[in-house]
Amino acid sequence: MSSNMATTSSPVFSQSSALPGQERYVAPIDETPLQDVDSIDDSAPATSLWQDAWRTLRTNPLFIVSALLILFIIFVALFPGVFTKQNPNYCNLDNSLNPPSNSHPFGFDMQGCDVFTRTVYGTRTSLSVGILATVLVVLLGALIGALAGFFGGWIDAVLSRLTDIFLALPILLGAIVVLQMFRTSSSIWKIVLVMTLFGWVSTARIARGAVMEAKNLEFNTASTALGSTPMRNLINHIIPNSMAPIIVIGTTSLGTYIVLEATLSFLGVGLPSTTVSWGGDIANAQTILRTNPSVLFYPSAALAITVLAFIMMGDAVKDALDPKSRTA
Amino acid sequence: MSATMNTTNTTDATDATSSESKLEALQRAQGPLLEVKNLEIDFTTDKKHAVHAVRDSSFSVYPGQWVAIVGESGSGKSTSAMAVLGLLPGTGHVVGGSIKFEGRELTGATQKDFEQLRGEKMGLVPQDPMSNLNPVWRIGAQVKESLKANNMDVAHEKRSDLAKALAGDEVTIKSDDDETFIGSTELPGLLQGASEALAQAGVEAGKAEELVKGFGQSWVPGSQTRWRVADDLIHAGVSDDAAWTLAKSHVTGSTQDDRIAGLLSEAGLPQAAVRARQFPHEFSGGMRQRALIAIGLACRPDLLIADEPTSALDVTVQKKILDHLHMLTDELGTAVLFITHDLGLAAERAQHIVVMYKGRVVESGPSLEVLQHPQHPYTKRLVSAAPSLASQRIISAHERGEDVEDLMEHQVKGEKVLERSEHIITVDHLTKEFKLPRNKEMFKAVDEVSFSLKRGTTLAIVGESGSGKSTVANMVLKLLDPTEGTVTYEGKNIAGFKGKELLDFRRHVQPVFQNPYGSLDPTYSIFRSIEEPLRIHGIGDRKSRVKRVRELLELVEMPTSVMQRYPNELSGGQRQRIAIARAMALNPDVIVCDEAVSALDVLVQNQVLELLNDLQAERSLSYLFITHDLAVVRQIADEVVVMQQGKLVEHATTDEVFNHPQQQYTRDLLDAIPGGNLALGLD
Repeated sequence: MSSNMATTSSPVFSQSSALPGQERYVAPIDETPLQDVDSIDDSAPATSLWQDAWRTLRTNPLFIVSALLILFIIFVALFPGVFTKQNPNYCNLDNSLNPPSNSHPFGFDMQGCDVFTRTVYGTRTSLSVGILATVLVVLLGALIGALAGFFGGWIDAVLSRLTDIFLALPILLGAIVVLQMFRTSSSIWKIVLVMTLFGWVSTARIARGAVMEAKNLEFNTASTALGSTPMRNLINHIIPNSMAPIIVIGTTSLGTYIVLEATLSFLGVGLPSTTVSWGGDIANAQTILRTNPSVLFYPSAALAITVLAFIMMGDAVKDALDPKSRTA
Repeated sequence: MSATMNTTNTTDATDATSSESKLEALQRAQGPLLEVKNLEIDFTTDKKHAVHAVRDSSFSVYPGQWVAIVGESGSGKSTSAMAVLGLLPGTGHVVGGSIKFEGRELTGATQKDFEQLRGEKMGLVPQDPMSNLNPVWRIGAQVKESLKANNMDVAHEKRSDLAKALAGDEVTIKSDDDETFIGSTELPGLLQGASEALAQAGVEAGKAEELVKGFGQSWVPGSQTRWRVADDLIHAGVSDDAAWTLAKSHVTGSTQDDRIAGLLSEAGLPQAAVRARQFPHEFSGGMRQRALIAIGLACRPDLLIADEPTSALDVTVQKKILDHLHMLTDELGTAVLFITHDLGLAAERAQHIVVMYKGRVVESGPSLEVLQHPQHPYTKRLVSAAPSLASQRIISAHERGEDVEDLMEHQVKGEKVLERSEHIITVDHLTKEFKLPRNKEMFKAVDEVSFSLKRGTTLAIVGESGSGKSTVANMVLKLLDPTEGTVTYEGKNIAGFKGKELLDFRRHVQPVFQNPYGSLDPTYSIFRSIEEPLRIHGIGDRKSRVKRVRELLELVEMPTSVMQRYPNELSGGQRQRIAIARAMALNPDVIVCDEAVSALDVLVQNQVLELLNDLQAERSLSYLFITHDLAVVRQIADEVVVMQQGKLVEHATTDEVFNHPQQQYTRDLLDAIPGGNLALGLD
């Protein structure tokens, strides 16, 4: 036998009984070199989950487009003065419904305010409400969800029922009722807090699920057996491993909070008319929709583009962090 | 299933030779059923980059033959089989070579062509019984789907030409009508008629009653056919004419439900009619696999592709299911393309073996020949690593009275050494009860188990899933508290450990878990993972910890360059090494390995076992080794504890258990080791 080992071509066997096509075959050894068992591929760069997600994001056109849009929107919100020299609250009835001109590209509304300036300044309100509400919602929701998911038992029962109660309340109705009480306040915080109050529920549910899943993974047992305490596991292992779905829901819901702010302002329970906001402008423009639709068009378009940008970003982030949800 | 032919067991059947050569003559005459030549399959990940999954691979399958493709994960064995079915996943496609099925070229075939072939001509038994049944459909409905999709006649058996030709020896099949199934409504009348006919034929009453009782069991509606009924009656002493008249008048076809139950019962499910109305979650893994076999064979395909059909199951269940599948396919004349990573299993089941490595066929030939005289270095490596074969080699060496020391990785300690060593962990009348949901009675997962682990030795706990072996491991690790009984570590009851004492215990008793994908945190780099125990126990500063992690990586033979990598970049075996390095970080005395090598390919498994043996020899570690695989035990353990349904059924040294098993259960486990009964004739 040993003399055959060295030969590279298939040796001749006396076996004649094999069926045609099933004769003894040995591949030439130099064509099929043997590698070390379980060798490591050193060539690829090291990647963690987050680095991997970032790599996926960077090449996703959806992400690039939405990121550029969002950067632009943030720039507008921070430096509205770059785009217009006028005061958004300077309105002159002489200009009422004047058509667009060079210095006033979007024309004037019924009150004689410059639509372009108001659209530019409205960005700040919408964006700050959206971002603040999202941050607070994610913090509160993740905290409640994580506690419920981690401790289980009666803590979970109480927190989950509380979640169910809030889930049953329509956010719009709840916001209208609560905001009626603070009609006089012109601070955007009242809207942010109301959104947080009614919006944390969905995040809490997702956080609870993610924590429960991460809690049951074997590496927690491994850490416990290494001497780690439950709290240590929660902070070091469970929370980092349940971040992905929470980030995804945060990014996706940012757009909805911007729309909600516009809706509330439109309904007259949101920000007072002295604060420039897209929702308020849309509300004012609806009376003249049939004669001057362009007055309604610009704030609505700004709102639509902003929301679209954030939802696209949410989708891209979801694709990167949760490859299973990716559509082929 | 009455006797038609006997090719199931080729090794010990004396009358097999004639039917064997007849089968071979038929195979020669018919030519190959499936012929794969120079197959090339690519996966395109992005536009320019192609991964060559299969390269220049050829193999063929003859009618009625079992052919096994053996290889490690990623070798291209499943990919080749899926290409035959036209079910390549995602971006995979055939870029070269040919696949001929019954002489017809399949490489250019459309999905529509494949749809016609699948089910009726080619069946699939998939790998994972847990995810391949739809959880919201009843089992029966899923069998029905397969029958309906192929417009199967539910009243008549479809028998392959090969089966007909082979069955011709014993029974002449007169016409297609004789392939009519028994219907469930007709069965009582048929049995009544049978007992009358037996009385007429002058069979004495007592014997006749027994015969009818036997008929009641073997004449399964929707599975047994008219000619078999007639055949059985004639064998029992009824005259030819009377038997055929009775069979013709009472066997007139089955309903769809009968057929479904018949198929399930053929696949080995008891009370099939009741089972057909149940949902997958009411089935165990083995039962689901049987249901999948019933579905795969429902339309009587000529070729059945079985993709690691039993790798998720216990060895004893695996043996039962494969025995049954073998009997069934032999009777139906179905060829089987059997995909497995276990060379022993492949050689035991198939006549022809194809070994694949890195997308290429490296060796193929008759099973025993390949096993006895492996030529390609990869095959040689596989043969020497396969645990089932390794333990057999030890046994055969024992029988020849030779020294087995150099055959074993593990130097088994003699009984004297075992007696002298002190007991590091003692388990005394350990009992664990769990409360089952919707059930008032407590479930005893572990029932009065006692044993002790001696310092510097390995004790293996063996049992099937559900035997309570992992529960014992978790109690020894103090991850679970026992209901009754005690675990003592170095003379102290661990139940009382708290605070500093507990931390100290954790430092000395470390686990390595089964799932190499779950036991490392994916957000931690390898360095952080191994460093974690050092941080928890506040050992050293950052600099000394880096040094220690380097040492540990060297210990488990991993390059230090992996420190900055993440678990998702490593293979299962590499992750398991990292898990071992982490367990070794605190210089423990005891390591509890809970199925630590069960999820790994044989070669990698062998490597990890070697590592564990080396570590033990160097540092006189004690292992508590939990496994379902007795073959592995032989390579690593000094003592064996066999558990069954929570109870300890046998406890002895490894040699004793292998050479003189005391309990039937232990013997069953030993019998089920794949390849255990092969006539290896190793030199």
